[in-house]
Amino acid sequence: MLARVADSLYWVGRYVERAEHICRLSDVMLNATLDRTEAAAQVARIALAAVGDPEAEKAASPYAVATALVLDREDPGSIVTSLSRARENARQVRDQITTEAWERLNLVFLRMTGADAGKAFADGSQAFLHDTIADLHLFKGAADATMSHGEGWRFLLLGVYLERASLIGRLLEVCFGDGRRRPLGDHFALTSVLRMSCALEPYLRRYTADIQPRSILQFLLLDEEFPRSIRFSTAQIEEHLSALTRYGPSAGQASPERLAGRLKARLQYADIDELEALGASGFLTTVGDECAAIHQAIYETFVAYPLELRLPA
Amino acid sequence: MELGVATAQRSDEATIPILAIGPYDEMTGSAGDVRPHYAALETRIETLTAAELAERQRVLERFFLLQGITFTVYGAESTTERIIPTDLLPRIIPADEWDRIEKGLTQRLRALNMFLADIYGDQQILMDGVVPRDLILAAPSYRREMQNLYVPHQAYANVCGSDLIRQPDGSFAVLEDNLRVPSGVSYMLANREASKRTFPGTFRGAGVMPIDRYPDLLLSTLKGMAAEWRPNAQVVVMTPGVYNSAYYEHAYLARLMGVPLVEGRDLVVHDNMVYMRTTTGLRRVDIIYRRVDDDFIDPLTFRRDSGLGVAGLFNAYRAGNVVICNAPGTGVADDKAVYAYVPEIIRYYLGEDAILPNIETFLCREPAQLSHVLANLDKFVVKAVGASGGYGMLVGPHSTQKQRDEFASAIKADPENYIAQPTIQLSTAPCLIDGAIESRHVDLRPFILSGEKIVVTPGALTRVALKRGSLVVNSSQGGGSKDTWVLSGDQEVQP
Repeated sequence: MLARVADSLYWVGRYVERAEHICRLSDVMLNATLDRTEAAAQVARIALAAVGDPEAEKAASPYAVATALVLDREDPGSIVTSLSRARENARQVRDQITTEAWERLNLVFLRMTGADAGKAFADGSQAFLHDTIADLHLFKGAADATMSHGEGWRFLLLGVYLERASLIGRLLEVCFGDGRRRPLGDHFALTSVLRMSCALEPYLRRYTADIQPRSILQFLLLDEEFPRSIRFSTAQIEEHLSALTRYGPSAGQASPERLAGRLKARLQYADIDELEALGASGFLTTVGDECAAIHQAIYETFVAYPLELRLPA
Repeated sequence: MELGVATAQRSDEATIPILAIGPYDEMTGSAGDVRPHYAALETRIETLTAAELAERQRVLERFFLLQGITFTVYGAESTTERIIPTDLLPRIIPADEWDRIEKGLTQRLRALNMFLADIYGDQQILMDGVVPRDLILAAPSYRREMQNLYVPHQAYANVCGSDLIRQPDGSFAVLEDNLRVPSGVSYMLANREASKRTFPGTFRGAGVMPIDRYPDLLLSTLKGMAAEWRPNAQVVVMTPGVYNSAYYEHAYLARLMGVPLVEGRDLVVHDNMVYMRTTTGLRRVDIIYRRVDDDFIDPLTFRRDSGLGVAGLFNAYRAGNVVICNAPGTGVADDKAVYAYVPEIIRYYLGEDAILPNIETFLCREPAQLSHVLANLDKFVVKAVGASGGYGMLVGPHSTQKQRDEFASAIKADPENYIAQPTIQLSTAPCLIDGAIESRHVDLRPFILSGEKIVVTPGALTRVALKRGSLVVNSSQGGGSKDTWVLSGDQEVQP
């Protein structure tokens, strides 16, 4: 597979996952605005911080913030930007994506950039976001069901899971990091965090309606089976990378596969009591840094490798 | 997307007002009768209400939009995507007419390939004075670098898209040959997909020749260009990139042939071998179906400022380590002035008369023809030889005296750069326009493949001038396209 193509597929995965995550954050934030409580403002602040916007005063007008997050083409972090980039990358490798998967992605893009997108969002923000998330699920499903589960598909999923691990890591850092003035205790805020990671129902099934910060941290960070937990994501990253390196020669010490294996093991053997005692912040920072290192290593191994090392003898 | 120029029209001019019905209509005969090969379609259309037709048109457009068969319109406010206007009523060509087209195109491309092999070889035709030496050797599209270079099967133009028009008497003539990087074949295929959905019953009953083997035939044509000692030749499609207006087509062909779609930056040349950068290192490339113009394929050989090509590609080609399809330098044979000599060229190499005639063309380089052109400027369409895309053109009957005076002095200053043709007439075909069926002008672009042998795909892109009375079929100027059904006659249709 062409290096440029692998790179594009990887970014399709990352942008699609990012768009989906921000849809969910906006949705929860808008939902929270229906209540005029301190907890609702707190949820808005969490969502803002999780998308990397630290300006706390914006939390006073969550609707305007959500509108910008969804539809502002100038904002590099908005959903419309992520979707445009995902679709642009997909268009560059149109020959590598099945028509079924392409149609799904193209459809979301056309709806989000269409002339009546603003009106549709204003008329029913939650329905609009809900449909977008559902369409993105359809894209992932179509890719899974119709693309060969070979190199290209693995690069796509590598992007999805690496992005997911980073995004959930950021969300957990905001909620449970040491920087917080006081621990998150409000029931509404806690369930909102679970909603932001699409984890409420699976959480309830695992821990019942006993909603505790410690259990949330354990679930989103260390659960083995929940597909949006960081542990699950890193296991997927490791699996796809080890499959990908089978296609070609290993890149030695800096190989992304080794880095992913180490991160996977770190999460596999982490202990929640230890984390609580030491504070989650340090651990989450390590996870973030290692995700960034894996990203860099993928790039150096598969995409932008030095030609001198690969010339035929 | 720009699909090339077929008609005489200044790009800055409004449409040419002519009779609503052209001199020849594809569906209706001169007595108002429906031609037999259109009967079934006509009957079917009559059973549909305007609303039903509009609904089918809507479904068709949605199909194109979803597939991403679009071009991007960059506006001040926002960037939007438009589909190429597509008409749902197919254009139908009966078997006997197609037979003649097929024979004519095969003959023409055979002769043009022999001509290219000759002028990039011994130049016998120039020695014999059949074609003026300076016309060829001074043409900007003549590539000295191609001289004495071995091209397998003498197949220089592996993919050719010729523009045909139907003359008032009903016969087809060649308006233009496209031997460089002709485009539009993806629309031929997509239109077929669409019309199978729109008129399935009529389609089944009509006995339409299948065209879906095109990607397959293209791949085997390309593979046939490989050296014998490279049994599993790696074919790639080379595109200028995603911002090119024909990008959809490049990706489409790569996908249907199952070969990588590469850009210049994906390729490297080392020791006169071409490689592509894959995730697992460098991989040798044998055949490049390039959709990049000659000028841009190699900054070391051609335009230095090109960022689209690969440095060293042409040397690798000369060394015989890679095949570039179409061969560089084929443009010299579809030059507007050389066009006038094609019937002579066919006679010279094949000893046959051209089956498909040319449009009558006057060369301003010939003094006698020049004075005839200058005396009748108001009756001719004058074209600059080097220009394309509808630029540098004078449409005599619709010009002002001032324009004619300007052109006359331009022609006198540089007569070799101009040709003149009588105003052409296009045939018309029924189209669905705003819910009603009206006649619009059409041309015909079939696609011919040449490698070990020459194959004409039994189908074509029919381009439509969607504005009433307009003769402009270019997609950039309000042109659209429609499916073209070539009927199999009384032969059994392949399932």
